[in-house]
Amino acid sequence: MAPRRLGSPSFVVPWAATLLLALGAERALALPEICMLCPGSVRDLSQVTLYCKRTPELMLHSRCCLNQEGTIVGLDLQNCSLKDPGPNFPQAHTAVIIDLQANPLKDDFAKTFRGFTQLQTLILSQDVSCPGGINAWNTVTFYKNNQTCQGQRNLCNSTGDQEMCPENGSCVPDGPGLMECVCADGFHGYKCMRQGSFSLVTFFGILGSTTLSISILLWGTQRRKAKTS
Amino acid sequence: MAWPNIFQRGTLFSRFSHHHVVVFLLTFFSYSLLHASRKTFSNVKVSISKQWTPSAFNKSIRLPVEIWNSNHLFPSAEEATLFLGTLDTIFLFSYAVGLFISGIVGDRLNLRWVLSFGMCSSALVVFVFGTVTEWLHFYNKGLYCCLWIINGLLQSTGWPCVVAVMGNWFGKAGRGVVFGLWSACASVGNILGACLASSVLQYGYEYAFLVTAAVQFAGGIVIFFGLLVSPEEIGLPGIEAEENFEEDSHRPLINGAENEDEYEPNYSIQEGSTVTQVKAVSFYQACCLPGVIPYSLAYACLKLVNYSFFFWLPFYLTNNFGWKEAEADKLSIWYDVGGIIGGTLQGFISDILQKRAPVLALSLLLAIGSLVGYSRSPNDKSINALLMAVTGFFIGGPSNMISSAISADLGRQELIQGSSEALATVTGIVDGTGSIGAAVGQYLVSLIQDNLGWMWVFYFFILMEEPRISEPHEPTNAAHGVSVAPPQGAGRIRIRGGRCFRWRYWRGLAASGIAGKSARAQGQAVGKGVKILRMSLGAPGWLSW
Repeated sequence: MAPRRLGSPSFVVPWAATLLLALGAERALALPEICMLCPGSVRDLSQVTLYCKRTPELMLHSRCCLNQEGTIVGLDLQNCSLKDPGPNFPQAHTAVIIDLQANPLKDDFAKTFRGFTQLQTLILSQDVSCPGGINAWNTVTFYKNNQTCQGQRNLCNSTGDQEMCPENGSCVPDGPGLMECVCADGFHGYKCMRQGSFSLVTFFGILGSTTLSISILLWGTQRRKAKTS
Repeated sequence: MAWPNIFQRGTLFSRFSHHHVVVFLLTFFSYSLLHASRKTFSNVKVSISKQWTPSAFNKSIRLPVEIWNSNHLFPSAEEATLFLGTLDTIFLFSYAVGLFISGIVGDRLNLRWVLSFGMCSSALVVFVFGTVTEWLHFYNKGLYCCLWIINGLLQSTGWPCVVAVMGNWFGKAGRGVVFGLWSACASVGNILGACLASSVLQYGYEYAFLVTAAVQFAGGIVIFFGLLVSPEEIGLPGIEAEENFEEDSHRPLINGAENEDEYEPNYSIQEGSTVTQVKAVSFYQACCLPGVIPYSLAYACLKLVNYSFFFWLPFYLTNNFGWKEAEADKLSIWYDVGGIIGGTLQGFISDILQKRAPVLALSLLLAIGSLVGYSRSPNDKSINALLMAVTGFFIGGPSNMISSAISADLGRQELIQGSSEALATVTGIVDGTGSIGAAVGQYLVSLIQDNLGWMWVFYFFILMEEPRISEPHEPTNAAHGVSVAPPQGAGRIRIRGGRCFRWRYWRGLAASGIAGKSARAQGQAVGKGVKILRMSLGAPGWLSW
């Protein structure tokens, strides 16, 4: 199973289709709750549907567009009467496209999209603004009854502040308008203070053998003839 | 003033066998390793306080809690630093207490076992303190304090034992220079610790502890298998026997029918070259030995100043001259360098003079001058480094000398030779008193510095220097091993036919509670010696002539 998963979707051979279907059925059983947040399936003409149909490996399951591994790449929650996206919303953090139009959403939901680093297209009603503000997106387009926030900007490089993170930290995007500090390359551990890994085996090997040989040498030359008192 | 015999008989070093060399190196490095693990702690302080605290970073950017903010032992780095300072003080106090105890223990048990046990067990404690708590992510102030108290107690086994072993192997003649050279071990340990810690610190501070602890543990094992505690262990003559032998070419022997009839076997007297006595003096007896208390008090004042320099010098340099911390750390090495040179050179001079007190007194007098000079040092790194080395020469030098060579002198003075193993106890008392002084000093220095400023710290140092100049005196004039008439002290008592018998003369001490160990004898002065007429050992009372 594993090698096949590693292969990129374009290399999937037709004979695997049956297997995939079986897997699909399996996946349907374990469909993320967010996909069933509101009844019905994705509307045929929604952007999510269009996106999902464009790539053959993606499949629609109720409100979600899933890839072969079952990760959410698209989420269509339009017209769901949502005041807020709910506690299960972070399940969709892998989504590339999300449609939330025609919902009575409150305006301040910037933190809701924490971790949505893949998100490229977000469709909202006109009365709410794009999360993170206009600076967080490449383009914000207004249509007749919705608006589209397109293309997340990486704010880490744009602010010009060199010391955005503590020592050994590195800034990475963390959703629209959001950033977080993770460990810079090569660093790990608490506060990213550690670098590389200590080879216990080598150290104790060298120390042990040195100790052994010095002990034997000294025992032989010094203490062998000593009276035990 | 005659040169000591050693210089007439040939070079100092040709008398040393490979055993001497190995003992020198083993004791040198065992104490270096103990000091290295102390230094490790001060070198990783920054990393530890980072590990114990959440990030103080106030920006809109998100810091994932598990990476940046999960540890809350202390709310801020300042409080962690304060706690680390407290740990230092705790360590110094328990170290001081431990020195008193472990000296006594070391004299009663085998020095090799005590030293080896001390190194290995303190290595384990350091391992638990630094590595296990980190691996388990268990941070607890109480646990840290407890472990550091235990570590102080265990670490204290090192110094009395290594000084005692060195004292067993290296005679009084030439002791000054050998011990002066040898007492560089603490400074070498500092350098070693700094190198070990900095080379693995990138893997995490726990590995700095792991490495120093493991090396120290290995050192303990090597000590166990390789160290000869005294020349007698392999049947070589002990240093007293050697010195006696060389002086009058008579093997010291107990003899005389009039002695034997009253001889009590449970108080065995030293016979010939087999110094197999392990009857240790009590703590109280050791305190009563001439010179122990004055030198202890002197050392307390001296170690106060010395350790204050050790702990506060980089801080002072950064604070007062605004030099960078790394530069100040590097610059403060010059104080150590001065101390090493001072200890060796002054030891050498005192060997030639065969007196240590005048050298110490002169050096400490000059120390006052150098302190005054240093406190007025201009803001120039090379001049400051020079003044620092001079100060180290006059303060660190005597300090090294008292803690090693003089401790060994005091612990091996003829008053207690042979019958008693006092060396480790005496070393423990001297160094323990010194450490208490140092611990108190750390507190006083920060207090004075906070309230009165740095200049007053120096005045305080000078004040501490002052009283000690008159105090030290030669421990005993009998230590030179010449037969002397009883009123002057101890020595050998000549019994018929030129045979002599080494005799401990508890003059003065007999009256101060050590009478139980003294002996009765009747004798008659013959020339420089005394002819024993009757004697008994073990009975209360003192020498009557």
